[in-house]
Amino acid sequence: MADELELLRRANPVPSGAPHFGDGPLDQNAERRLDQLLHSEDRGQSPHSENPGRSVPSRRLTGRRPGRTSLSRLLQGRRPGRRTRLVWALATAAVVAVTALALLVAGPNTTPAVAAPRPLVVRADATPVSLDRLAERAAQAAADGSPGLRKGTHVQSWSMGMSQDKPPVTLAEERIVRWKADDSHTELVVATDPRHPGRPILSDEDGDPRLVDDGHVISKQTFPPSWSDAPPESPPPHDATRLRAYLQEAQYSDTPLTTPQLLDAVGVLLDHWTLGAREHAALARLLADTEGLRPVGRVTDRLDRRGQAYVYDGSGARRMLIMDPVTGAVLGLESTATADEPEWGLKAGDVMEYSAWMR
Amino acid sequence: MSNDEIFAAAYREHYWAVSRYVARRLDGRTSEVEEVVAEVFTVAWRRRSDLPASPLPWLYGVARNCLSNAVRGYGRRRRLLDRLGHDETAHGRQIVDSPDSEPPGAWVHDALARLSPVDQEVLRLTTWEELGIDEVAVALGCGSRAAAMRLHRARRRLRAEVDRMRTTVAAGTETPRRDTPKEQRHG
Repeated sequence: MADELELLRRANPVPSGAPHFGDGPLDQNAERRLDQLLHSEDRGQSPHSENPGRSVPSRRLTGRRPGRTSLSRLLQGRRPGRRTRLVWALATAAVVAVTALALLVAGPNTTPAVAAPRPLVVRADATPVSLDRLAERAAQAAADGSPGLRKGTHVQSWSMGMSQDKPPVTLAEERIVRWKADDSHTELVVATDPRHPGRPILSDEDGDPRLVDDGHVISKQTFPPSWSDAPPESPPPHDATRLRAYLQEAQYSDTPLTTPQLLDAVGVLLDHWTLGAREHAALARLLADTEGLRPVGRVTDRLDRRGQAYVYDGSGARRMLIMDPVTGAVLGLESTATADEPEWGLKAGDVMEYSAWMR
Repeated sequence: MSNDEIFAAAYREHYWAVSRYVARRLDGRTSEVEEVVAEVFTVAWRRRSDLPASPLPWLYGVARNCLSNAVRGYGRRRRLLDRLGHDETAHGRQIVDSPDSEPPGAWVHDALARLSPVDQEVLRLTTWEELGIDEVAVALGCGSRAAAMRLHRARRRLRAEVDRMRTTVAAGTETPRRDTPKEQRHG
């Protein structure tokens, strides 16, 4: 039986030789439009963006906290809150540095893997707080409506990059998006890993992983005023039913989202908005009403924040939500491999992606 | 060559490839293809100084974002029509009773439609546009390793959907059943 890619190839609805769209000379309309463009008055250039055709960033962010320096200052935003780092074993840090260095000097056949971050450790002895209970707490915490909703995001992320001929590497980034009163916004992405402050860090901005200084600016972009009334650019509602519909639209879905799709949508939401207390409460209620999320106990996240963990066991991967035990805010989302996949150098237990959102 | 000349050459060389890309994602709404393609090249024209040496994956990236806007508009219009209930186009694709009347590969499309938009797009770019991982990365605006990871995940999820549909077939239906009329989406 053909594999899934071959099946899909055969189901191409418009093959290369399709009658209406086959290669060949331009038709009259296409020629006319080209002529209009070449003779248009528009000789200006739109602001540069890494994402072609996009006026707003869509890429999941990861980022590093400005640490000690400049990130927030560059954007004139507030510094991220207290963030002692989860100190992974020094030995691990050394391995990362050494193997990353080896990555630069060794040939492709001898390139060692950079250690993937370990999954968060759940305190199994703790009595898990149900999502229902957490949603109640979140509703209480939202009673006075503060803090408020703010457009833009601040997120630190670790994401594993894989290829079929090289070992996987984990890339750590911090991203801050700030919107201004005139609806313009700025996005800053830097390479950093709060677990290893000051140490060189891997970045793959040019396609191949290489070591850069901690805090290296991957991109800094300013976008002109823009506006949209469609999710996830439009403000999220603060009741669970409407929020569910909002997330469904944000994912372009005509059918209710499955739990893993919903978790993806939560990531999209938090990569666009810094939620206020009411939106946190709505999201907590929505998650409490979602099937398949089970409480597993307490964790301390990679930014040294305490949270309650809720796990969804999917095919080949485990997703873990980390939520503030008092406000019900989603603090982080971790995706961990549950099976070895030698083809990709992936081992069970490897963290494939982790995002930690901050105010 | 000037930027304008480079743009004109890319336009002539890739106009039909971009048209196919758009047509594949508009689910039979061929009347809208030309309009969306015109928008793609208008955006590309404004950004012609960014045009890379191999422009096609980049143009797909522009097209993907233009389609995002087009599909959003289409979705709103369709919902309005649904409420009005007066237009056949409001009803979208219908459940097909006879497997024989299914277009070829329809059930594979249904399996694909059950995946997230991002999964769908990385799979389509790989199979329908026949892009390599580096090119997929350009179209998606991400690094090549991230693109490889997305493809890896998407393949696994598509495989699970395909297997699930086959299970349904084995359980008694003649062909995988389409139970969710759904618009094909871009990523």
